[in-house]
Parts: sequence; structure tokens; C-alpha cells
Amino acid sequence: MENVIEVRNLVKKYKEIIAVDNLSFSVREGEILGLLGPNGSGKSTTINCILSLLKFQGGNIKIFGKEMTPNSYELKSKIGVVFQDVSIFDELTVYENIDYFCGLYVKNKETRKKYIEDALKLVGLEDFQKFYPKKLSGGLLRRLNIACGIAHKPKLIFLDEPTVAVDPQSRNNILDGIKQLRDMGATVVYTTHYMEEVEILCDRVIILDKGKIIAEGTTDELKQRASIEEKVTVEVNNLDVRELPKIKDLMNVLEVSYEDNLLLVTYKDGKNNLVNMITYLKSKGIDYQKIYSERPTLNDVFLELTGKELRD
Amino acid sequence: MIDMFFHNFKYILKTLFKNKMLIFWTFAFPIILGTLFHLAFSNIANNEKLDIIDIAIVKDEEFNKNIFFKMAFKELSDKKNEERLFHTQYVDEEKAKKLLEDGEIIGYLKLEGETPKITIISNGIDETVFKYVTEQVLQMSQTGIFEIEDINIKNISNKNLDYTMIEFYTLIAMAALYGGIFSIWVMNQIMPDLSAKGKRIAISPIKKGTIVLSSFLASYIVQLIGMALLFAYTILVIQVDYGVYSKLVVLLAAVGSLAGLSIGLAIGVLMKVSENSKTGILIGITMIGCYLAGMMGISMKNIVDKGAPIVNKVNPAAMITDGFYSLYYYETLDRYWFDVISLCIFSGVLILISFRNLRRKKYDSI
Repeated sequence: MENVIEVRNLVKKYKEIIAVDNLSFSVREGEILGLLGPNGSGKSTTINCILSLLKFQGGNIKIFGKEMTPNSYELKSKIGVVFQDVSIFDELTVYENIDYFCGLYVKNKETRKKYIEDALKLVGLEDFQKFYPKKLSGGLLRRLNIACGIAHKPKLIFLDEPTVAVDPQSRNNILDGIKQLRDMGATVVYTTHYMEEVEILCDRVIILDKGKIIAEGTTDELKQRASIEEKVTVEVNNLDVRELPKIKDLMNVLEVSYEDNLLLVTYKDGKNNLVNMITYLKSKGIDYQKIYSERPTLNDVFLELTGKELRD
Repeated sequence: MIDMFFHNFKYILKTLFKNKMLIFWTFAFPIILGTLFHLAFSNIANNEKLDIIDIAIVKDEEFNKNIFFKMAFKELSDKKNEERLFHTQYVDEEKAKKLLEDGEIIGYLKLEGETPKITIISNGIDETVFKYVTEQVLQMSQTGIFEIEDINIKNISNKNLDYTMIEFYTLIAMAALYGGIFSIWVMNQIMPDLSAKGKRIAISPIKKGTIVLSSFLASYIVQLIGMALLFAYTILVIQVDYGVYSKLVVLLAAVGSLAGLSIGLAIGVLMKVSENSKTGILIGITMIGCYLAGMMGISMKNIVDKGAPIVNKVNPAAMITDGFYSLYYYETLDRYWFDVISLCIFSGVLILISFRNLRRKKYDSI
């Protein structure tokens, strides 16, 4: 597969603050690349540099093999962007908003009409075409925001945190729509600080922190980089803290913590960890309400690499 | 690009018409203000309903020397004159002060050289009429347009003393300059450093010049429609008579609107503050400009013209009102065309400065 985007040694500073620090990565055709990182990690700045909206101090950027500049109108016609802030006209209906932004790319009215219908269907706004934005809920507004960015059927789509403050139903709808876009042949760059979305959606992930790439790969590859293999959580009241060192001495246990009646045990390796824990609790006569096992998440990877939570 | 131009033009036109706040300030507010002016000053416009105003004139050597003032106030106070304006007492200064303090007169006039000095203790319609008439007499004496025998109430009342006309000139100037609200709003929508919509437009394959020009043109069309409504309202409802120069009045209003949009464009592009702050700045500039141009009383325009002439030379509101005055005060149209050309240059300079800034393609931060 060809690289649709090539970013080499990108440096962006805001006065003395380095927002993007010598960033290099590529995006392959047809993939959904997730840019994951906490607020202020440089995700949006990177996208704005790629789109040639922002000046940058170093590096070069190529899209579809060509250098991206503000005058690259041919390249721009292949790109769709959904910004974090809802960017629509309050004075226009849902249909008119999509028509306005689609019309900046597609001249033919008949083609545009078809594209608008497709976009409305994709984001599930067919029944709201004549609504004004003020009548829409936050989730529906986000969907309209997406429809405005992708109606012209771009080959490369940037989605910058499109699900911020969105209800679960709209979020699922949005994520399904993005998968459909990929299935229709679009390449997608998706920024978020929601690791769950990245896990559901992205073929490949770049984790950013302080403008630098701290990890890159598929979600499975990234999880393998975490030293923990399994997490067991036990809901238990009034656990005697003298038990904690004993639990830590059990086979494969990496860390043990007890807070708010939750006993959290992480394992570096091994099998049957959950069964072993249940057996131990029974042998000690410790009653528990719930016990469950989880695989490590991208947040655990981020925590291990940076010492902080993704949403810090 | 023509398709894109009209596509953007159509939708910007639509959004402007549907924006209630913009329409209120640019369409409704001048009409409301015009109605208030009409209600407040209709007594003055209709001379038959004017009360005789009690004034005094300090009769000293200066006054006796000035035949112009002497004749004018004699005519304006003549009991035989059916359109008489004043009941005038000719007294010394001390007596005039006492009459004023006792409330028997609303003010008195004293000539200092050839300059009339008016003393009043409050600001009302009577005081304004007194000041206005005095200024008119002074202007006539300076320009020498009228012979002494021409100074009569008919000349002053029919041609020059239509107080509401002056208010309507500044009202038109204000409405024209308020058009800047449109260009501020439009710039805010289409510039990537000002809004997310602007970012979305900036990454589309349409040239910035096409977007800016079509949006500016749409704003101008909406502004002209607003001005047309204002004219229609003042002519049909308030029954303002713009006289034989109505076409030139419309032309001046159109050029004034261009100046208003240019100010809005410059504020929109050059100032890095919120849209509301920009609108506030524009309204502030417009109101101060209109005040200096004589919206709250013609005397202010004369004070500025005499004390700091450069201020009203660069004040678009003054250029507009001055253009209107010149249609009625001067025999030739030279001064009118000077004002029209000045407004065009003023607009051109602001547009050039704004477009120079708009040429920027990338931003340090957005």
C-alpha cells in the first residue's frame, strides 16, 4: 500500500513552546490511523500543519506524494476535515449546511444532491434535513459536523476528536460511519483521547505526548509493549491490608493495590491467574462481591510510558 | 471559479438575511431611531406648531455694528411675521444674565467680534433651535450667499431650518456605517484564524480571493437593501422630502455603505478580538463619528470643523453628512463630489490594507 501522508521531522513551536517535536510518520492508503494523546499533546497542531493552515519551523509534509501548500488546490479537493469545534452555519438548515460545504468541492448540482443524500444517510440525519442547528441535540450536531466534512467523498479524511461530548448512541453512529468511509476506500486520520475508540476503530495507532511519538503500532502490538499481561479486580469490603504483601508474593503478580474496596492485582505473565486468585481468596476465607479479569488497555501502555493517565 | 463565486455568494446572502441580530442592528435599529427622531422633532419640522421662543440679545457696540445679525433677528422676531420664531429682548449683558436666571428667557446671544456666543442653562428643543438659527445666520453672513434683504424666516425655515433633515442625514450616515457589522460577521465566518468554519473553508479548493470577494459583495447587497428600506420608510411613512437631489442622496448613501463595510472589513481582519468586541468597536466608532458629525446637534460639527478640521476630514460619518449638507447649502455640487470621492478613497485604502493582510496563507496559531 502507498503512503497517502508522509510527515518528516515536523517541528512546530509557539514562541518558546515546542508543540510538535521532530515528528515523523506516514499514513497508508485505506487505513484508519489513530493519533492518540492527552489534551495538548500536539494532535490538532499536527493536523493543522499537515493541512497547511499553520506555519511550522521544520520538516516537510507530502500528501499523495506531493508537497502540501496553501495553494495545493488539487490536493485540497481530495481532503475532508472534521474539526473538533462544530463548524456550521446556524442560519442554514441541515441540508443547506451540507450543500454549502459540499458545494465548495462539487460544482455539479445533481452530483452534489446525490452526495448530500449519501452523507445524510451515513450519519443518520435523513429525518432532520430541514432542521436548523439550534433544534439539534449535541450528538446530532456532531453528526452534521461530520457530514459537512465528508459529503464531497474525499479520499483522505481528518477527524479531529469528533466525538467529544457526544451521547453513546451518536458515538456509535459516528464510529460506524467512519468504518464505512474506510470501507468505501477513504484513508482516515483520527485523533482522540478516548482509547476505547482507538481500540474499536483504528488499524494503527500513534501515541503522542508533548509533541513526540512515544509509541506506534497496532493496538495489539502496543499492548504487548506493556509489562502487564492481565489485570484482576476484586470488589472486597474491609480487606486486611496485611494480606497485600502476601498477594504480591503469589505467582506472576506484578503490583497490588487496595483502594475504595477494590483490590487491583496486575500480572506480568502466566495463565489461570483469575482461578488462582479465587482459590487464594477462598483459602483465606475472604468474602468478595465481584471478581473479573481484564487485558491491559492502551491507557496502561500510556501510563507505563509516561507515568500519567491519558486523560490527565 | 464563477460557479464557486455564486455558490458562496448565494449562501452568504442567505445567512446574512437569516441572522436576526445583524438584521436588527442594520435594518430595524435605524428605522426605530428614525421614528423616534420623527416623534421627537416633528414639532420643529412643522413651523406652525413651534412656540415663540423667548431670548435676549446683548445690545452692545459689537451687535450694533453687525448689520447681518441685527436684521436677521429683527426679521425672526417681527410680530407681523406669521412665521416668527423668537420673542427677543435687547438688553445689556447683566440684564440678560438676570433674565436667564429668572427663567424669562431660554438663552441670550452676545457677539464677540463676529462670533456669536450663546449662553443657555439647559439643553432642550428651544435651545437647539436658538443655537441652530444663530449658526445659520452666522454661515450666511460668512458665505455671503444671501443679501441682507434675503434673510427672512422663509429662507431659514424652508431651506435650512428643517431640523429633522439634519437628523436624518446623520441617521443615514449611521445606517451606512453600521453595514460594517455585516463585513465583521462575514470575515469571522470565512477566516481560518477566526473560526472553525473559516478553517473548513480554508482547506477547501476554493481560492481565498473568491470567497472574500463574493462574501463582501453579498454583504454590500444586503446593506444596500437595508438602506433602500430605510429610504422607503422615511419617504413613505415619515414623509421626509429629500428634494430634487434624491438620486444624489442615494448615491452618497451607497458610497457611505461601502465605507461602512470597509471599516468592518478592516476591523474584522486586523483586530484580534472576539466578534462581539469587534461589533462593539464598530458601533463605538460609528456613534462617535456621528456625534462629531452633528447627530446630537449641528453645533458639534461646526465646533469640530473649526477646532480640529482633520478629525472630520477622516471621519466617514462627517464626510457623508457633509455631502448631504452641501446638496442643500451650496449652489454647486463640487463639495458633494469631493465628499463622494473622499469616501471612495477612504474605503479603497481600508480595503487595500485589509486585503494585504488577507493575502496571508499560513498562520502562526489558529
